Amino acid sequence: MSSYKKVRSVTIAHLSNRLFSARMAIMLPILILFIPGMAWGFSDPKVMLPGGITPSSATEVMFYTSLGIVFGATMCAVLLSFDGISKDRASGVLEIKLSQPMQRSHQSLSLVVGHWLAILIPTWILWAISYVIVNYRMGDWPSIIDALTSFISVALILLWYVLFSLIASSHAREQGTSIAFGVGVWFLFTFLWALVTTMVAFASGVSIGEENDPKWIDLEGVLDLFSPNGVFHHLLETRLTGVERGVSPLISWFVALIWSLVPWYWFNSRMKIIQP
Amino acid sequence: MSDVVLELEDAAFRHSISSRSLSKPFGKTQGSGIFSLNLKLRRGQILGLVGPNGAGKTTLMRILAGIYPIQKGKIKYNKSKSNNLSSISEMELRSVVGHMPEQVRWQGKTTVKRALEDIAEMRGVAFRVDGILTMVGLSEMKDSELDQLSQGMRQRLTLATALLGSPKILLLDEPFNGLDPVAIRAFEKLLNELAMKGVSIIISSHRVAGMVHIVDRLALLHKGQLLIEGTLKDIESEFELDNRIEIQGPGKMPNFEKIITDSNSILQSQHTELGWTVVVRDKDDNLLNKLVSSNIKINTWKSKDTDIVEMICSATGLELEEIGFNVVSSTMMPYKTRGEEE
Repeated sequence: MSSYKKVRSVTIAHLSNRLFSARMAIMLPILILFIPGMAWGFSDPKVMLPGGITPSSATEVMFYTSLGIVFGATMCAVLLSFDGISKDRASGVLEIKLSQPMQRSHQSLSLVVGHWLAILIPTWILWAISYVIVNYRMGDWPSIIDALTSFISVALILLWYVLFSLIASSHAREQGTSIAFGVGVWFLFTFLWALVTTMVAFASGVSIGEENDPKWIDLEGVLDLFSPNGVFHHLLETRLTGVERGVSPLISWFVALIWSLVPWYWFNSRMKIIQP
Repeated sequence: MSDVVLELEDAAFRHSISSRSLSKPFGKTQGSGIFSLNLKLRRGQILGLVGPNGAGKTTLMRILAGIYPIQKGKIKYNKSKSNNLSSISEMELRSVVGHMPEQVRWQGKTTVKRALEDIAEMRGVAFRVDGILTMVGLSEMKDSELDQLSQGMRQRLTLATALLGSPKILLLDEPFNGLDPVAIRAFEKLLNELAMKGVSIIISSHRVAGMVHIVDRLALLHKGQLLIEGTLKDIESEFELDNRIEIQGPGKMPNFEKIITDSNSILQSQHTELGWTVVVRDKDDNLLNKLVSSNIKINTWKSKDTDIVEMICSATGLELEEIGFNVVSSTMMPYKTRGEEE
């Protein structure tokens, strides 16, 4: 059997194990509530967001719906993959897997892609359903480029969180550590990053939270590049008109590439030296 | 004797353990492992790897399974039948070795067949799963969930993973743990059949008695070093643990001094509730006649099995207390090898 076929088979095995797990059955209602639910709410013609904003296009509605990705889908990505390796290590199955004639780099590739697809497939389906909902409520479709950008951005943020969880899982000796790291990282980037931004702004002498202050906007834009959630929103903002946060689309995509490659390289290196 | 399929040449591996201090917060130091180990495995041979806890058995098994990379030395494999050994990479090693780790705790809602298929996919032999399940006696349990398996069934499933892909070398780490006597007998039969077909097998255990009847040779490992390798008879002879008879009798301890000659010697003697017990070395097989002619009543007469503790005590010159729970990195090297101080 060729290496490609082996990687494909093992990836599908990981995917089906996760996709049809009890965990996924529990998380699916959460995803439905967060993604199509938010799309339904934000596409209400009478909706008024804080700051007096009313989304006027499908792309704009989906930008706000992306909060569902940040709060729901990323957490599900963490919960789905936190024990990707630590469970096998605790049970002793990892030793069996490591003794199989499959390159460690191929094993890591299968693990990442299998876990990633397990959360990506339902999320993408719900994301697509959300577009249909928005069209039903507003009668507007996004352009192909807008839709493509959003689908790719969603895929990337989920990949990053899956990678963080698998890295933690590969280092952890028991599953508690692994989930603590995964949830901790999610918490940091989802809730605490605003605090980090505020602290850096305070230390830099920039007035905090002044939405009309260019210094604050620029600082927030740059600091967001150091957070996966921030990069995700930068990527979505590349398709929004009238948004200028001091970060060009090219930089946003370049940073997204770094956020993808560095953790992947880290995980791959870790898998090469992993011990049961 | 059959040809050598695998050879370890001065192989060494030491675990990296964290040694943190204020000046070196991420400091590492070398811990236990195996040292300059030379070992040959022949085609169709069953080799028993014995040693106390912490001897390095599992480490050696993991090296041979291609999980741990050796840090020094070479692993050579006979890729053809031409008796030419050549160095082998870990990846190549993994393709010819089937590894059964100790006490795998299979768990979850996955079925037995699905769990085996997941491993088989990594070998590219998922289509052979049904046959392997039948071979290990799990065909009727193939649709059961892993959580429903008993410990013995889990051992069988682990064995099934080791048999995937028709490996040339089989590594079994404490394989009899959790198996019932019937399963053990069936397992031994299977191992003998595999050996007859040319599969070389290494069985690791801390119990010699449980496997002496199925292994061709024994390798005694202690604190990361191979103390001796050979047939059980050779090893017993080397350590003067052969020709030992355990005799039990009623009443008072007889006076053996009159009976014991140069060819016999009393190794142990003790009074028990029911009478007495002595362990005697009997080199001329004439002791029984002498005891009977001296009117000594005997309840039990049996050859004394060699256990691992006696072997290690003899090999290292250490006392039982020194071996028992003294496995730390500072005492990795045996204090004494036979005949000379290290």
